[in-house]
Amino acid sequence: MSTDVLTRVEASLPTSPGLTVRTRRVIGAPVVALRAWLRGGARAEDKPGQALLTGRMLGEGTARRDFQRIAVDAESYGMALSAHGGFEVYGVALDALASDWELAVDWLAELIFESSFPEERFSFLRRQALAELESLEDQADVVTAWSFLEQLYSPHPLGRPQLGDAAALTALSREDCVDFHAAGRARGAIVTAAGEIDAPAVERRLRERFAALDARVIPGAPPTAPSDALPMRRRVRTRAADQAHLYMGHRTVERRHPDHAALEMLSVVLGSGAGLAGRIPARVREREGLAYTAVASVASGAGSDPGRLVVYVGTSPETVAQAERAAREELERLLTDGLTDLEVKEARSFLFGREPFRRETARQWAEMMAEAELFALPVDDPEWTILKYRDLDRAALESAARRHIDPAKLKVTLGMPGRSKKKPAEPVP
Amino acid sequence: MTRRGLGQRGRGLRRFRTLAPLAVPRLPGTAEVSRLANGLTVCVLHHPQAPVVTSALWYGVGTRDERPDERGIAHFLEHMMFKGSTHYPTGEIDHRTQALGGSNNAFTSHDATAYYFSFASDRWQEALRIESDRLIGLTLDPQQVESERQVIVEEIAMYQDDPWDALEVEVHAGLYGEHPYGKPVLGTAESLAAIGVPELRSFHHRHYRPDNAVLVVAGDLGDTATVRREIEATFGSAVAGGETRSPVPSVHVPPGVRRLERRHGEVPRLLLAMPGTAAADEDHPALRLLVTLLAGGRASRLQRALVDDGQLCLSATADLQDTVGTGCLTCGLEVLPGIEPAVAEAALLAELARARHELFDAEEIERARRITLADWVFGHERVHSVALTAGFCLSQFDLEHTERQLQAIVECDADRLRTVAARYLDPERGALLGWSMPEAGQ
Repeated sequence: MSTDVLTRVEASLPTSPGLTVRTRRVIGAPVVALRAWLRGGARAEDKPGQALLTGRMLGEGTARRDFQRIAVDAESYGMALSAHGGFEVYGVALDALASDWELAVDWLAELIFESSFPEERFSFLRRQALAELESLEDQADVVTAWSFLEQLYSPHPLGRPQLGDAAALTALSREDCVDFHAAGRARGAIVTAAGEIDAPAVERRLRERFAALDARVIPGAPPTAPSDALPMRRRVRTRAADQAHLYMGHRTVERRHPDHAALEMLSVVLGSGAGLAGRIPARVREREGLAYTAVASVASGAGSDPGRLVVYVGTSPETVAQAERAAREELERLLTDGLTDLEVKEARSFLFGREPFRRETARQWAEMMAEAELFALPVDDPEWTILKYRDLDRAALESAARRHIDPAKLKVTLGMPGRSKKKPAEPVP
Repeated sequence: MTRRGLGQRGRGLRRFRTLAPLAVPRLPGTAEVSRLANGLTVCVLHHPQAPVVTSALWYGVGTRDERPDERGIAHFLEHMMFKGSTHYPTGEIDHRTQALGGSNNAFTSHDATAYYFSFASDRWQEALRIESDRLIGLTLDPQQVESERQVIVEEIAMYQDDPWDALEVEVHAGLYGEHPYGKPVLGTAESLAAIGVPELRSFHHRHYRPDNAVLVVAGDLGDTATVRREIEATFGSAVAGGETRSPVPSVHVPPGVRRLERRHGEVPRLLLAMPGTAAADEDHPALRLLVTLLAGGRASRLQRALVDDGQLCLSATADLQDTVGTGCLTCGLEVLPGIEPAVAEAALLAELARARHELFDAEEIERARRITLADWVFGHERVHSVALTAGFCLSQFDLEHTERQLQAIVECDADRLRTVAARYLDPERGALLGWSMPEAGQ
């Protein structure tokens, strides 16, 4: 990475993250996208599921309105409202027609500052989350992915579903969410708006409505570090009848790591680019016809915590070993034979070429600006994006591959179908 | 129009300003439609909001055009269109797409097959070259056909393992019976085994013709005359002669509710399917609005009765297909643990009966209209979506199809909704109700 880029990254480090407001006029559809992200999602929670439920509770009632009234009011204006809890942040997303931006800003602030966390809604949402867990356990690829992430990260919070688990959810209380939200507000927030708007006017109103967040920041404690205590190979029995799911990989680097851009380029070479062009899908699907889905990345999920090398293949139980062998061989070939100059050029070209598509909509801009503030990286600056890939040549990528791809450390989770094949459904008399 | 009833609870509600009258959104950009001498319909849609271009090529062929011994061939051929042509050997389409920083994909439905590329606006012409090459010179290498057949078998397995996808395939098959809309788009492992190079070649020859296709290029295109010249130069040599399509047969669903049950996982899931309308039918917009009233947003009928207030289900959905022939209207439920599936089913049927028998109030209708229109605007922010909608409209109907639908939704009133609800929301007129039940209860 060039000194120039590094300087720009250093310069973008946050100085006062209590409240960060970003706005942007986006010429296009007459809409406005608003995002309020409170720092510290599941990575900051003491109890599994706490961040997710806290986020969802933000839409369940305020001092002024109950959940139904909030929904009716928002939908009467055609607004799309989503209260959510993620791994890095939780908060509220509100998309509205641009003409309704003042109302949207006010409602966003109301949900963040005046949520009342009604007990009966908490009970229902917790019940829903438990049901969601049960429902997701019917999805073989999801269950296998959960097990794989646990293998890689446990006891770090990336090693568990953001929904938590049944025992933890059952033990959660409304007060846990109230406390988490109080701590969340103290950790600071990022509020963004993008669309066909008068950006300075929207920024003024956002600063006014969210001024209470611009206080002293109380940073959260870092999450528990991952360990490598779990076995290298795991086999889980799923509720599927036909397909096996293979996840293979290990931890790599966080988003701000100097090698992250190199790993993004390596990901394109291996299998995160267009269609089936990467080495692993080309081998597993195009050449050997083993799978419908085969993808690979070297920096999947990189954020404040390390991302991961991950290869995923959905295939039949009879060919899963062949798929694993093929994927391993491709990873080893990358390390032993290196890359071609053409591959490097094309990976760079792909990453440059996709940039306009990341900036098409108000929603994309609102989220990209928030992401830029969250990671203190100018990801919303097209010039920075170009600079970070421009100087990475074949030698730099091969060197990064040697530092961050290690076949000896690959952990493997196999999700094998545990359900006998059923006959087609029978009509019920 | 002022908001009515919003102040009834009166607990410190902030001011509400007057809602602006509903304006029907139009497809963004400026479209010019023409036809080449070989019959290819071309839509050049200038929409320079971002420096990107999407090309979408729609062929008027889908699963419904398959013969009984060809089940799955439309989708199989869609896969093979990426597996080699005269100037783009196997893997080269994805390779070129990646090298140019673009994306591509395709899909097959019962009515159509569509291919699309998105590129930055300084290099989008590569999409024309690829599409033209595989229209005129598709290779169909036997080894690639064998390999891709196995890939599709894995795709079928993937859907079979998904509880909702598997239920949907069986419910649609059950509802439509021998009608082509009841046939699975992917075919079956057995039907695919009977399809080889000659069959794929014949299908391509019969249907992949310029006079059976619509090409849309949308985005930051520059000079229209230049774009047209490029399209003419690339596609002009393709030879017309597409097979005339048979009209979509009528759908005959016997009266009464037929039921099926399958076992999968641990969560009860219900899918109720009833015949809806063709997308061009005059009842379609009202039915679309009814679907939003039932399940569009958190204040919708099913969301309240079955999820938030009733607390019977994890989720409740409703959907309406946009098809050339009689499409399908579906309602889906995922039942919460501890709730008797029959109770959730009864609650769903009660809400459908309520929709048939009681007038929707004006505020509820207005809210559903606004949700529909706003969702349409949100859903057309990207050039990619605009291009696909234009292609869908032109290949199945005409470019004004969407605008007409939205206008009719705006004009739809409570009486019209009740009339249409009585016509289509009554399962006793013919429906297929499918349950995916927990295996543990078997």
